[in-house]
Amino acid sequence: MIIASMRSRMEYKLSFIFMFFALLVFYAGQVGVVVLIVTKFHHIAGWTLGEMAFLYGLLVFSQGLTAILFYSLNDFESYMINGDFDRLLVRPLNPLGQIVSSKFEIASMAHFLIGTTALIFGAQKAGIDWTLGKVAYLPVVFIGAVLIQGGIRLAVSAVAFWTTRNSSLVHTVIYSSKEMIMYPVSIYKMWMQVFLTLVFPLAFVNFYPSHYFLNRGAGDLLFHPLIQYLTPLTGTIVFVFGYWLWNQGMVRYQSVGN
Amino acid sequence: MNAKQADKTVIKVDNLRREFKVAEAKEGILGSFLNLFSRKERIVKAVDGITFDIGIGEFVGYVGENGAGKSTTIKMLTGILTPTNGSVEVAGIIPYENRIENAFNIGVVFGQRTQLWWDLPARDSFDLLRAIYRLPQERYERNFRELTEALDLSKLLTVPVRKLSLGQRMRCDLAASMLHNPKILFLDEPTIGLDLIAKDAVRKFLKFINHTRDVTIILTTHDMEDIEALCERIIIIDEGTIAYDGSTEKLKQDHIHTKILEVEFHDYNPELENLPMLEVIKSEANKKWLRYNLDGTSMHDIISTLFRDYCVKDLSIHEPKVSDVIKAIYKNGGMERASVND
Ligand SMILES: Nc1ncnc2c1ncn2[C@@H]1O[C@H](COP(=O)(O)OP(=O)(O)O)[C@@H](O)[C@H]1O
Ligand SMILES: [Mg+2]
Repeated sequence: MIIASMRSRMEYKLSFIFMFFALLVFYAGQVGVVVLIVTKFHHIAGWTLGEMAFLYGLLVFSQGLTAILFYSLNDFESYMINGDFDRLLVRPLNPLGQIVSSKFEIASMAHFLIGTTALIFGAQKAGIDWTLGKVAYLPVVFIGAVLIQGGIRLAVSAVAFWTTRNSSLVHTVIYSSKEMIMYPVSIYKMWMQVFLTLVFPLAFVNFYPSHYFLNRGAGDLLFHPLIQYLTPLTGTIVFVFGYWLWNQGMVRYQSVGN
Repeated sequence: MNAKQADKTVIKVDNLRREFKVAEAKEGILGSFLNLFSRKERIVKAVDGITFDIGIGEFVGYVGENGAGKSTTIKMLTGILTPTNGSVEVAGIIPYENRIENAFNIGVVFGQRTQLWWDLPARDSFDLLRAIYRLPQERYERNFRELTEALDLSKLLTVPVRKLSLGQRMRCDLAASMLHNPKILFLDEPTIGLDLIAKDAVRKFLKFINHTRDVTIILTTHDMEDIEALCERIIIIDEGTIAYDGSTEKLKQDHIHTKILEVEFHDYNPELENLPMLEVIKSEANKKWLRYNLDGTSMHDIISTLFRDYCVKDLSIHEPKVSDVIKAIYKNGGMERASVND
């Protein structure tokens, strides 16, 4: 099925090139704002430019991974609206697997370009000493971060089983989650930090694990220092929750009447 | 159908129900959130307690008017919908619980929607299906050859599905549904919107596979002519309940006493004084649609009088509409449950 989607994608080469550059421009804009702020004030909430870049790199890179895997869920409501989900249910494959493999957004490669650049630049500038532990923990953090963001996307998509339409919710969640953790979570008010830790645990995508990589100590951590290592656990919990909600939704699937 | 086949049941449906909650959805982000918690709901009983068994190799017509509950039943049998109540078993499997296992046993065709990949030529869709159903290469090739020949697909295979006509697409869909040798084939209104030639191709193919492979076929339709041409057994569903389940032959004997005659005259449209037993249902330009009673005058007399006294250009005989059949059943004493083997 991946081949099938690649094939039909090929026909849209132009749209691919356009998407790719649109993403680049979008992120260039984001980066520009951050650089402007940091150079003006030297740091944000005690975070230097290099540290901010590393934080941002973790976010964008893991977002790229998430987008590659779950991009096709963005338009999940169309499966509900025109009943295309029917077709997935009569094939001998997991419906979720069929959806995530149906579209392959090559343009999300732009995420990797920017993410990698930010990570390398940030690590250099902030002078990260790459111990064995850090080298080993980095991919684990990526996996955890993908599980968190993927689990959230899954849960938000599953809402469509109840409401049919969910695109405004999907877009709000995806875009606001990018915005919310671009900056160190410690700049927010207490309730927001709690929200981003316990309810909508995006702080585990980049903020908490960065403390470990940057040897930042526990100064601006709201909770126990151990929290730096909890990204994979949080990811597992969020993803299991998302998948559970998805399965609950499938039982309630109503199809469409003609 | 013989007795030996009849006791091998492949589909068991027992007191099956499905309700739909129809909501007035609120728009927007806040709306879709609020919809989660509270909404005004109306309950539609689409399928309201149906019971039947179907034996291996049977060809059953599942008939009803629009909104009767045909598609909802098919969706429960194929694992798309979870029943609200009651039980359903297909080849020993509960479809909504074991969707994947069930998928290997069944073929599904929806008249209004293709199972193929819209942007790909049918050939590529078939290849994908081969991979999805994990078909051994040589079995796939044998099926492929047999099906493309039976449905005359050779010229259609390289055209993207979205460019095919409805009839051509339906032929490709039929082939796709049979590639993995399903035991049971579900067809939901496969002839809807097709012209006569395409309908005929579909019917011929269904007859062919019902005979050559021991496939059990359930076909929904609101066209009595499909049933007349194909199904020994008919189940009529009306407002979610079964109005008739029995042999097509018996239904005709007991309840279908009329047929429709469509007559085209040579550039005029006469009053038919010599044929008072014909009820005019519709009259248009030089055509008339006439209902006649099978118990009265013989068909031979009617037609010979027509040709003798009037200038007839063309003539065809139609089965009555489903709605007329249902009316007749209710008039003759309501619910009827004749067994297939009577
Ligand atoms: N997904 C759905 N949501 C709400 N109502 C539905 C849905 N599917 C079917 N219905 C309603 O259930 C009834 C039966 O529909 P259906 O099974 O599609 O009938 P048929 O296939 O015989 O035309 C209709 O009143 C229809 O409006
Ligand atoms: Mg229908």
